[in-house]
Amino acid sequence: MGSFFRSEEMVLCQLFLQPEAAYTSIAQLGEMGVVQFRDLNTEVSSFQRKFVSEVRRHDELERKLRYIETEMVKDGFEIPEAPSDTKVPNPRESADLENHLEKTESELLEVSQNAVNLKNNFLELTELRHVLEKTKGFFDEQESSAHGESGKSLIHDEAGQQSTRARLGFVAGVIERERVPAFERMLWRISRGNVFLRQAELNDPLEDPTTGHQIYKTVFVAFFQGEQLKSRVRKVCAGFHASVYPCPHLPEERAATLEGVRTRLADLNMVLNQTQDHRLRVLTSAAKDLQMWTVMVRKMKAIYHALNMFNMDVTQKCLIGECWAPLADLQRVRQALADGSKEVGSSIPSFLQVIDTKEVPPTYNRTNKFTKAFQKLIDSYGVSSYGEVNPALYTIITFPFLFAVMFGDAGHGLIVTLFGLWMVLKEKSLMKIKTSSEFWNILFGGRYIILLMGLFSIYTGFIYNDVLSRGMNIFGSRWINPYNATTLSDNENLEINPYEGYLGTPYYFGIDPAWMLAENKIIFLNSYKMKMSIIFGVVHMIFGVCLSVVNHRHFGNKIYILLEFVPQLLFLVLLFAYMAFMMLIKWWLYGPFDEQRWSPGCAPSILITFINMLLQSKSEVLKGCETEFMFPYQYWVQIACVLLAVLCVPVMLFGKPIYLSIKNKRALKRESLHGHENPQGIELSEELGLNPEPAKKGMGGHGGHDDDEEFSFGEAMVHQSIHTIEYVLSTVSHTASYLRLWALSLAHSQLSEVLWTKVLKIGLSIKGPAGPVAIFLIFGAWACLTISILVLMEGLSAFLHTLRLHWVEFMNKFYQGEGYAFAPFSFKKILKHESSEEDA
Amino acid sequence: MLGSFFNIDGGYLEGLCRGFKCGILKQADYLNLVQCETLEDLKLHLQGTDYGNFLANEPSPLAVSVIDDKLREKLVIEFQHMRNHAVEPLSTFLDFITYSYMIDNIILLITGTLHQRPISELIPKCHPLGSFEQMEAIHVAATPAELYNAVLVDTPLAPFFVDCISEQDLDEMNIEIIRNTLYKAYLEAFFAFCKDLGGTTAESMCEILAFEADRRAIIITINSFGTELTKDDRVKLYPKVGKLYPDGLAALARADDYEQVKAVAEYYAEYRALFEGAGNNPGEKTLEDKFFEHEVRLNVNAFLQQFHFGVFYSYLKLKEQECRNVVWIAECVAQKHRTKIDNYIPIF
Repeated sequence: MGSFFRSEEMVLCQLFLQPEAAYTSIAQLGEMGVVQFRDLNTEVSSFQRKFVSEVRRHDELERKLRYIETEMVKDGFEIPEAPSDTKVPNPRESADLENHLEKTESELLEVSQNAVNLKNNFLELTELRHVLEKTKGFFDEQESSAHGESGKSLIHDEAGQQSTRARLGFVAGVIERERVPAFERMLWRISRGNVFLRQAELNDPLEDPTTGHQIYKTVFVAFFQGEQLKSRVRKVCAGFHASVYPCPHLPEERAATLEGVRTRLADLNMVLNQTQDHRLRVLTSAAKDLQMWTVMVRKMKAIYHALNMFNMDVTQKCLIGECWAPLADLQRVRQALADGSKEVGSSIPSFLQVIDTKEVPPTYNRTNKFTKAFQKLIDSYGVSSYGEVNPALYTIITFPFLFAVMFGDAGHGLIVTLFGLWMVLKEKSLMKIKTSSEFWNILFGGRYIILLMGLFSIYTGFIYNDVLSRGMNIFGSRWINPYNATTLSDNENLEINPYEGYLGTPYYFGIDPAWMLAENKIIFLNSYKMKMSIIFGVVHMIFGVCLSVVNHRHFGNKIYILLEFVPQLLFLVLLFAYMAFMMLIKWWLYGPFDEQRWSPGCAPSILITFINMLLQSKSEVLKGCETEFMFPYQYWVQIACVLLAVLCVPVMLFGKPIYLSIKNKRALKRESLHGHENPQGIELSEELGLNPEPAKKGMGGHGGHDDDEEFSFGEAMVHQSIHTIEYVLSTVSHTASYLRLWALSLAHSQLSEVLWTKVLKIGLSIKGPAGPVAIFLIFGAWACLTISILVLMEGLSAFLHTLRLHWVEFMNKFYQGEGYAFAPFSFKKILKHESSEEDA
Repeated sequence: MLGSFFNIDGGYLEGLCRGFKCGILKQADYLNLVQCETLEDLKLHLQGTDYGNFLANEPSPLAVSVIDDKLREKLVIEFQHMRNHAVEPLSTFLDFITYSYMIDNIILLITGTLHQRPISELIPKCHPLGSFEQMEAIHVAATPAELYNAVLVDTPLAPFFVDCISEQDLDEMNIEIIRNTLYKAYLEAFFAFCKDLGGTTAESMCEILAFEADRRAIIITINSFGTELTKDDRVKLYPKVGKLYPDGLAALARADDYEQVKAVAEYYAEYRALFEGAGNNPGEKTLEDKFFEHEVRLNVNAFLQQFHFGVFYSYLKLKEQECRNVVWIAECVAQKHRTKIDNYIPIF
């Protein structure tokens, strides 16, 4: 039987690993991803575990890798993807890797440190150059003003003037632009307005050597008088992180310094370029393997994390771990252990032992890319209990089909199909696009569902004869127009009598296109779709109830088939399947060409008949019709159905509790006869003495009693009565719930029709030269609305309703969903998880 | 009614703040932390908490100071994030919180320069929440008047400083007086601001600030014994917003020794309890720790109500307490001084 039918059979294994082979064995298992380790050290806190130092070492390695990576990102390096077959390095290689990383990191640190120093130097020189260049103007101005003043001044000799200028001290420097206003205010405050500040903005941003940010700066010169003020100005400069540069008083000296600075700058530039080249070389050599190293380090870290879940044997000779593995993969696990031992040349093989347990194994459904999305739909309701029948298999067809019943329009279906098809065909290239957009990831994950939904929608669209709300006359309508031209033009509404208009054979596929023109189209379609919904619903639910048989058989509760399944099925079939049967028979028996007794006028209302059947009342027989019944003995059949169905209720209600209490009494009697102990259990526990905890569980498993806790009849009764009431009520409410198939289908067709008549039709009916322009614009609007409202919104709503029909109406009949998912130790998953975390 | 409109401006930030609050270490975390053998263990454990990888990029061996810096950095980033998203009046409220750090920074810098320390050595010690533009040029001032006129006049602290200008020069004593006068003015202004905001904010914040004021008054009194601070000067330093005001403060002003302070506290139920449990003997908790515990209790209570600004203040204070706790534990671990490791103040 295919594994998709129910979850994989799992076994609990005990692993005995030789310490020297543990690392390689776990590496092999990690590559395969088939086992889930159980943490045997839950009570030990994380930093007291055995391999914590290794984990820490790899944390340190990761830190180094991150450092190297940030350095690369800073320089705009393209980091190539890691090759997909990166193997876990053996311990010796990992030591090499560690050395290598250590070396690269220290080299990089040194280079960066050098670069920062050089850049600092460079920055200072550049700033000095700017100071010298920009201040030239200020000094020239001052000079000229001094000369101008000297013209008015009383003392005319040169020496005197020299001395006045000497006394006017100044500080020149560079400050960040945004701090200038505060700086200026502060200078003014400390000197009471006796400082004269000149400033000039630098147009080009300078680079901050440590962070690499671009900063805009301003050159300033502050003139003042007196030594005391000078020290205070300098303090303010220091406080505002202004870099102050020595600036000679005399213009000639200034020119000379400027010249010197320029040559030094040129030299420095050369050195800087060389450092940069060196840095690039270091980074290039590292960039090639960076991702590979990252993958390796992560894998090694994961291995040690896994090993931390292991127990050390008392003799320190081997590591003992426990894991869940699928029975089918046991051979591969053994092979992995053997390979692991062989790799290190271990003399004593590591081995694996399957142990019995009473614990519930994890649920593992093997999926492929097609079934994965369907399994996800089921798992989001609740992971199935271990061994339970897996509804995902049936969902593959029922889900797209029920969706399509609500989304029945071939045009819209085609759009959905094409979109799904595009995603499926471009799968490989699209898979590579890593995006954090949740919307896209959901759509892409469900690409096969979308494709199937689209295909089914096309099918139902043709059945409803709806293509973008228009009917298609493909095979030729089976209705003809019996009226002549004058009658047609004189009358607004005309009725076509089937005797005259209908050709006698139905349209070959789907609804006859003639209905598209009919006034009573909606009435006709409503009756059709409503009945169809109920029929689908009843079939779907009966199927769900039948699936519970498989569960009962699997869990060894065959008696429940009689006590639960049979009454449930009878109840559903006798009442609701009978109603569906009446619908079908009504369609079959009555028609316009038949005699009076079978004419449409005499056809009974199914709803009324059903209510009468339950309430045992009678309605009036219409004139001309002989009877309200459709077939002979219908009355007695109905009474029998109702009686049987009612009789099913007590069986459902009392069957299971009574059975359980009888079973419990017998078990108690047997126990008192045989004594409590079970020899087999003791034997087993001795055998596994080195690990007492699971052994205890194993013993319990051999005890043979299902219920450890006290059995209480009252509790079972309450439980069962809740179940029964729920089931009986739910048959009614769930049947009604399937009417949503009709309701949504109606809403969809009406909406698309409104869009056609109110938008596109208006565009089509505009005459004259404005017509083409109008239709161009209006078609755009119509297309947008069709995609956004009809395909996206309606599609989403139909999807959700389908999901509900599956989760509630279908799965309720048999599904427990109390398991927990199998989470294997797999490198692939770990790496994927980490990279997605990084993106976020 | 106030509550129903609160979420328009403050809803996001309150939610954020409450989310941050959930990351505060629990008792179970502390129990694990005190078991750590080395700082590496501490780091490994903190990785499992809301701190996540905050130490992941630090090369080993770790130093306690690095942990301290990183803890503070994380807190500051969170606070700045909230401040940047805040609108009036929450933004002013959050600014008010930072003023206390500004006061601390100013005092730190002045004291530092008084002891001839270079300013570049002092700056890293300043709390980043209390940094302001003119801060680093503070050493140009030699007298309080200069300090005010040159540096503080442009900062939001200016109105608090007006009372201090009279002091003659900056010596150790005067700096202490300046600090306390500033703090008093700040607390009173903050209290008035919260009162004006009204509603639940006023309820929760005034309670906390009143306690803060009383704590300062009591500590000032106790610390003033045996110093040259006169009783008259002392009275001027008491913030007048606490529960002790006015009777308790008057009584405190007359106190001459610790016993008399304790006698004053007797009249106030919550303070009596604090004094009763306090002592300097080993095994007993100091009065300071008792105050911290009470503060933590008050701040935790602030989270019991919704639609008010108190949660921001309380979050910051609780987180600071947590930083102190972690650093304390880290120090004990680093110095292998395990006997006192349990002296942290649990929050939840």
